[in-house]
This record gives sequence, C-alpha cells and structure tokens, in this order.
Amino acid sequence: MEKNNKDYRLREVKCPAGFSWTNLRAELRAVWESNVKAWKIDLAYPVSFIRQLISPVVFMLPYLLYGLVLIGGRYSENLAQLVGTGDVVAFIFTGYIMMGFIGTAVWAMGFSMRREQWFGTLEAIYVTPASRLGQVLGMALHSTVHQGAGTIIQFIFIYATFGLALNVGGILPALGIFALMMFALYGFGIVISALSLILKEGWIVSDSFYSIMTILSPVAYPLIVLPTLAQQASIIFPTAPALIGMRSFLIENYVPEVVGNVFLHLSVLGAVWILFGVFVFHLTDRYVRKRGMLKKF
Amino acid sequence: MTQSVYEQSSFRSNFFVVWDELVKNMKFLMAYPIIFIFWAIFPIFWFIPFILQGEAFVGGLQSANFAQITGSGEYIPFIVIGAVLNSYVNTLLYGMGENIRREAYQGTLDYVFAAPCNKAYVLIGKALSESVSSTIFAASQLTISALLFGMNLTLGVMLPVFFIVILLILGLYGLSLVLAAFSLMYKQSHDVSETIGYIFYIFSPVRYPIESLPFWAQIIGKLIPLTYALIIVRSIMLLGTSFSAMYWEILALIIIDAVLMLAGFYMFNWMETKTKKSGAISHY
Amino acid sequence: MVYDKESEVFSIQTINLTKRFAKKKHRGVFGFLRKNQSKNKHEENTDVTVALDKVNIEIRPGELFGLLGPNGSGKTTMIKCLSTILIPDEGTVIVNGFDVQKETSMVRASLGMVVGGERTLYWKLTARDNLMYFASLYKMQRRYAKKRVEELLETLQLSDRADERLEDYSTGMRQKVAIARALLHDPPILLLDEPTLGLDPNFSRQIRSQIRELSEKHGKTVLLTTHYMDEADQLCDRVAFINNGNIVAVDTPNRLKAMVKEREIVEVAVYRPPADIESQIRSLLPDAEVIKLIPGDEDEGNPSRIKIIGGTAEEHMGTIIDALRQKNIRIGSLNVGVPTLEDVFIKLTGAKLTEGGMQ
Repeated sequence: MEKNNKDYRLREVKCPAGFSWTNLRAELRAVWESNVKAWKIDLAYPVSFIRQLISPVVFMLPYLLYGLVLIGGRYSENLAQLVGTGDVVAFIFTGYIMMGFIGTAVWAMGFSMRREQWFGTLEAIYVTPASRLGQVLGMALHSTVHQGAGTIIQFIFIYATFGLALNVGGILPALGIFALMMFALYGFGIVISALSLILKEGWIVSDSFYSIMTILSPVAYPLIVLPTLAQQASIIFPTAPALIGMRSFLIENYVPEVVGNVFLHLSVLGAVWILFGVFVFHLTDRYVRKRGMLKKF
Repeated sequence: MTQSVYEQSSFRSNFFVVWDELVKNMKFLMAYPIIFIFWAIFPIFWFIPFILQGEAFVGGLQSANFAQITGSGEYIPFIVIGAVLNSYVNTLLYGMGENIRREAYQGTLDYVFAAPCNKAYVLIGKALSESVSSTIFAASQLTISALLFGMNLTLGVMLPVFFIVILLILGLYGLSLVLAAFSLMYKQSHDVSETIGYIFYIFSPVRYPIESLPFWAQIIGKLIPLTYALIIVRSIMLLGTSFSAMYWEILALIIIDAVLMLAGFYMFNWMETKTKKSGAISHY
Repeated sequence: MVYDKESEVFSIQTINLTKRFAKKKHRGVFGFLRKNQSKNKHEENTDVTVALDKVNIEIRPGELFGLLGPNGSGKTTMIKCLSTILIPDEGTVIVNGFDVQKETSMVRASLGMVVGGERTLYWKLTARDNLMYFASLYKMQRRYAKKRVEELLETLQLSDRADERLEDYSTGMRQKVAIARALLHDPPILLLDEPTLGLDPNFSRQIRSQIRELSEKHGKTVLLTTHYMDEADQLCDRVAFINNGNIVAVDTPNRLKAMVKEREIVEVAVYRPPADIESQIRSLLPDAEVIKLIPGDEDEGNPSRIKIIGGTAEEHMGTIIDALRQKNIRIGSLNVGVPTLEDVFIKLTGAKLTEGGMQ
C-alpha cells in the first residue's frame, strides 16, 4: 500500500487529563473497574472467598470466649467501673468489627500495589493514563464491601449465639462516625501501599502496622488500660476515637474514655491522612520509577 | 557414568537428601534477615491485646474463674504458652504447602520430582527446616515473654516441654504431608492450611481452656494434637505437674501422631502418582 | 517508505538518554560483619551499571523501527524509559510530542505496549474481562470500549474463547491478548519488547504479520526490540544496534548489511572443535577482522560454526580447510555467506546477538 505524506504527522491523542469533569468521571470509572476486577478474582477462588467471609467470626470468637471465661459470665464489674458498661459481648462485638476495616487499610489497600507486582501486572497498569491511586481506591472499595458482608455475618452469629443489646437509635450517628473513620483509614492505607512497594518485604510493613493499630485501638479493652504514651499515640489513628464514639452511641451507659468532639477529630484526621497519603504516594511513585523497582520480583 | 559416583548406601543417600534440603531452606531464610527478626519478635504483639483484655475485665493479673477451671488463675502465662505453640503450629502448617508452591513458582519443582530420590525425604527435609526455624522463633518469643511477664523457664521445666514439642511436630509433619499432597493437585494449599489453622485456633485451648467449650466442640478439640500439647505443657509449666502424671495425654498425643504420619505418607505418595499422570505437577 | 524531510517531526526522540542502576553487592550471609576496605563505604558496597549511555534516537511517524541487541544491552531499559515506567537519570525523551517527565499522562495515552508478555495479564479473568478492565485504565468510554474489545477479539481470532479464563489459554493466545490490550485505545505508537519470545514458529509468524500490518496499513509507529536478527531484517524500516547501553549503528537493514561485503564472510560448519580453535585460526588469518566460534547442538544435528569476517574469502577458504584437516576436525560444510544483521553486529561489536548473552 502506497503511503502518502499525510500519514507522517504526529497523531493527536484525545485523552482526558487535568482538572475536568471528564477526567474525574474517567478516573472514577477506573476505580470502579478496579473494584470489579478484585471481585472477579476473589470469586475465582470460591473456597478462599467463603473462608474470608467467615474469618471475622473465627477471629472474634477467641476474644469473646476468653473474655467470658475470665469473668465466669457475661458481666464484668471492672469493665463497668472503667467505661460504665460491663456487657463484654456488646463491648467486644462493637470493637471487633473495627478489626476487619483496619485490615482494609493495611492489607487490602496496603498490599494492593505489591499484589499487582506479584501478579506481574503492575507495569501494565503503570503505563496507562489512569492514576495508580485508582487501583488502591478500587481495592479499598472492594474490601470495604467485603468486610461489610463479614460484619453482617458476625452480627447474625453473635445475635443468634449470645444475644446482643445495642441502642438502635444510635446506629445512624455510629454509621456517620464509621464513614469518617473510613475516610481517614483510606488515607492511612494509601501511605501503607506506598511504603510496601519500596520495601523488599512489603508484607512486614502491613503486618506490623496491623498489629500496632490493633493494640492502639480499644478493640477488646478500654483505651484507659494502655500506658499513657500509647493512649496519646492512639489519637493519631482514626480507629481509637471512632470506636469510642461508636460505642457511646451504640451501648447504653457507655462512658467515653476520651472527651471531645469525635466528628471534628475524625474529620481533621481524615483530611490529614488523605493529604499525607497522596503526598507519600506521589513521592514513592517517582522513587520506584527512578530506581526501576516496578518489575515483578 | 560409573556406579562409583552414586551413593552406595540408600540410608546415606536419603540422609543427605534430607540434610541438603534442610540446609537449602535455612540458607533461603538467612537470605532474608528481616523476616527472621520479624518472626522471632513480632508474634508477641498478636497476644498483647489478650493480656490487656484480661487486665480490663478482671482488674488484675489473676482470674478466679480461670483458677477454678484450669487450676491456675494466672491468665498471662496461659495466653503466652498458647500463643507461642500456636504460632509454632501455624509456621509448620503453612510452611510446607507454601514451600512446595514456591518451588513450583520458581520452576524448580519439576526438577525435584524428576530426581531419582524418594520425594518423601525431600519433604522431610522441608518439614525439618520449618521445624528448626519454628523452634528458633518459638524460643525467642518465649524468652522475651518470660522476661516481660516473669515466667519460670528452668531446665527441669523446659526439657519435658521440648519433648512434647517434638511429639507435636511429628503429628504436624503428618498433617503437612497431607497439605503438601493437596497443594500438588489443587494449587490452593493456602486455603486448606488456613482452614485447618482456623479449626486448631477455635477448638484447641489456645486462648481459653477446652472445658469452656460446648461438649461437641470439646470432642473435636480432643482429636487435635495441639490440644494435648497445650494441656501437657501448661500443666508442667503452670501447675508443676510431673511428666509421668500426664501419661494419658502423652499417649493420646502419640496415637494421633501415628495416625497423622501414616495418613500423610500414604496420601502424598498417592497424590504424587496421580499428579504425575495428569501433568498437573508444575502448573500454578 | 516516504517521509517528509522538510518538517522533521519525530514520534519518538531521545536526547542523551542515560539510565544507571545501582545495586548492593552481595557480601554473603555474614557480610555485614566484614570490614570495608576503602573509606567510601557506599561505593565499595554498590555496583553501578550504566544501562543506557547518552542514547540518541529519532523515530519518524509511521516507521517500524527495530532495536537489536543481545540480552543485557539496554533494550528493555529503553522501552521502559519511553513508556514512563522508568525515569531517566539524564537526558530528554519526547513521545508523540510530549515530554515523558512533564506530560506523563499524555505519553501513556499515546502508547500501546507489549512488554513481559503473558505474565502481565490476569490469568483468573477472561480475555474479555482483561481487555474491558484495561480499557477503563485507558479512560475509554464504556460503549466505545465494548465495541473496540469485540473488534480486537475478532481480528485476533479470540472471539470463540473470549469468555474463558486466561489460565486455560496457550502462551501464544495470551500473547495475542497482550497485543490486543496494546491496541485498545488505538495509540499512534506501539512499543513491542521481544513480542515473539518463547512462541512457536507458527504463532511467531502470525505476530510478525500483524506487526507489519499495523505499520503499513494503519500507519502506526512501532518500536520493536528483539535479539532475533531475522525478525528485524524482515520487518524493520530501520534498525539500531545497541550494545552495553550504546547505540552502535542506525540504518536500514540493507545499508547495514552492505557494511559487511558479501565475499568477506566465510562460514565453516565443524564437529567437535577444540576450545582454542578461534585462537588457532586467528594465528593463521591475521587479516581477518572477526573470527567467532558459534557453538551448536550436535546431538540435534546442528554442528558448531566458525565465522570468519574480513579479508579475502577465497584465500581464507584454503587455509581454513588445511588447518582443520591437520587437526582431524570433521568439516560439515563451507559457505561464502550472505551477510546477516548478526554478521554486522559481530563486526561492529565483536559480540553475538543470539540467546545466552554476549560472547
């Protein structure tokens, strides 16, 4: 076929970029598709999928059974003295639902880039115009819904086995607190995803942060039991104030260990973590591309 | 090739298969010092929440209800022993299946299986390396816990404990062989390992005495080697019970070990033959 | 091909492109206990490899450009710098008029890439799912993406199995999906890094035919890296040789082959040559520019080859036959060869292109 001179111009590329509604829509679609992709891959391993749905129950049970054995019943005098309520079942259930969402930040989001690297698809993703953050947020969405399903299963199990007394009127404000907490956790998760990509043993970062956050969050004990330094450190993570806030709405007679406006606290934390997360992610993005660290290990 | 380049004695050749596999896996572990340090220290963080929970619920270091059920009210050593033995178990349970999957991923599994040696000895070598590393990690965690929480670790206590740990490992070897057999064919050994890990975690007295479970759950618990190991070790370390006084529990552990070992060897050989015929051996 | 000389516009242009990699030296398991010999601890413990050394390349729109070099020569590093996966240490890279460091998003939208082949796809997803997913990452509108995916599946003869998972595909089929992904957003430029590596001859032929079609019929600029000289010879408008991060020569395949005159090449097929045969022949033929033993696989019926480039072929033939006979080396065949790109490469660099690295 004869070629003519017209073929040898540079061809214009019409791709949305910069600050525009079109670009925002395209980025959001990429986030959604990442989420859909994660679900499809999850469902390709049905045994694993089912196991992950029941694992919140499996890991909560020891806290419950251990707590019941310690005090020989459901009511703890000491707990009542500390936080106004001695119902260990309600206390542990409301605390434990947090664990799954810490996992969202630390594992689902935190390990998302590393997981793509392990699949061999990280470079293929990097050469597309969509933001890499979209991958991380897609995983966040997937994991949040996944955890949500696990939480519902947890609730059904606990309600059926032990009975649960929660303040129904407090569900809506508790959900508000939960949403603010997730916003901040997403920012934290973005930081972890950046760090796990630059460190050779990325899973250690995720595991370490998961353990530290679990200790600093009043999941199975009131915050006041921790040493003072640990209590002060816990306010930089969203889980501690969120848990305390949610319990104060969901559990009757609950006396919050920390005084202050939880909504304001979480909003500030959310803004800080998101901004910090995006900043660290951008820095890491450049760092890994400079050092050639994207290829499959 | 003349006959003289091969080992004359099958015992020697099998011994070196096990030994070289052990050395290879240990070198692999040492190539990642940060992983080594992580496993030696970090699992302690996983049971700290239980200790804090105890403090919050009972307001001290002793639980009257615990004393009534187990004979000792000290819940902290109870938790520490459960956590250390359980993390030990998890390393072995996941370690074997994942070791094989790693070989498949690296592309070396075909070559291992094409070699004329008996593959069971390769697996014994892998299991041995997992045991050695698990023991090092467990010893480190126990030592740190003893320093932090004031536990008694004399030689008179630790020697029988070490013997029980060996018995536990033998049973887990059998279970590991079963998992290795699954991973050959179904490539999703991780799920099977995790599921077994869940069963151990819930039905064994890792975090709570087995007596606190419903009767049906106790029966399941009593089929698990970890249950007996935990009961025996806690009795020796916390109640000062003599080794000989635990002979029923020790016997039960030995019987379960024997059953698991036999089942493991049989299943692995059967599955190896099956996967060689189907060609699934190196697909992953 | 015809190009417009007056307005030199390049699809891809690199100016003094340099990329270095620093890697920690492995000092053994207990290396941290060993004392450093010099004061500069960082230098002693680090190896610096210059993967690309002030590389200047200009590729015109619509050109099918080959980058030929052995393993480790810098081909993949070059591709990665062009595709924004790697940030260059020095120099400028312009792709489709966009600077890779300043307008990264537009560069990515201008490129389709096939690098790493089958392992860069999700094996647990179907071909259709993979393509739809990547279409969203290329910011394509959904209805257009659907149409485009169906079009590509049809063109690449994958429609029948589009809803099967990639784990059930053959290597060649997965490579086709990788190519489909590169073409999703109809980019003006394609970067193909060893696209036929590991494929059987039938599939390789299909892939090459598709590459040719993309360049000739669709006017795409294609940068193809390969160490298969035949592939570059058959397909490329121009070829650049790269060795140790440097561009050694750039021209059309015919002009490059003309650098090695036909009568200058003698190739002798021999069986079980001694290890020092090169030096022995070199001592007999001082005017030869290059003497290279290329080992073969005699069990497969492929004898080793001794290639002599330079000097006068007729004179060499007699000397070589006598020398080999004296040493009782069995001769399979003797040819006065048609130069190949490999011959040019060997002449220019002293290295060979074939798998297994430089010799």
